[in-house]
Amino acid sequence: MDHSRELTAEAPRTWDRPVVSVPVLISLSLVGGQLPSFSAQANLYTFGTGGALIWLGLSNRVPRRPAPRRLAPGAVWWLLPAAVFGVLEGATFVLSVGDDFPTFSRLADPLLDDELVRSTAWFAWLAAFWGLVRR
Amino acid sequence: MMRALAIGGFLTAVLLFTAVEWASRREGSRVPTLGDVCAFVMRYEVGPVPVGRIGLFGFWWWLGWHFLAR
Repeated sequence: MDHSRELTAEAPRTWDRPVVSVPVLISLSLVGGQLPSFSAQANLYTFGTGGALIWLGLSNRVPRRPAPRRLAPGAVWWLLPAAVFGVLEGATFVLSVGDDFPTFSRLADPLLDDELVRSTAWFAWLAAFWGLVRR
Repeated sequence: MMRALAIGGFLTAVLLFTAVEWASRREGSRVPTLGDVCAFVMRYEVGPVPVGRIGLFGFWWWLGWHFLAR
């Protein structure tokens, strides 16, 4: 009896395999890429997909990879790109002079108007979200 | 001039993110991957509340809404 329970616990769930999750994420991304900015559909879709992933991430329905108990000292290197980005984003946001000194999102807006780029951004967001849910 | 500075600065930040992630994936690296850093942050709890997990999920949700719905 115990033996069969162990086997069941170790078997990966069908929907948790990349062969299932990747096509699902691509399908969701293609739909998201069709929805224009500032539309009610885009807002609802973002809240729906994000909300579902948060629900999965806060429940114990998805197996998680073990998290490190301590970070290696080299973790401090992550502060470098974060600081460069944060200082620049802060400066562009505070000065608020529009296209002369644009924020990151202002630079990204025209790129995201393209449906293919928008779908790719949707995929990157959802795939990273799925990765976080499983950590 | 200022616009070029902003674009160059953001590109530098993206390149730095990529470089640090690349360095973290080298064998024997002492730099953790970004995924490990996120997983470590998500371990933070206050009592029974997974504050780190809620915080990171919330941030990522907001980011998607900001770029893809606004």
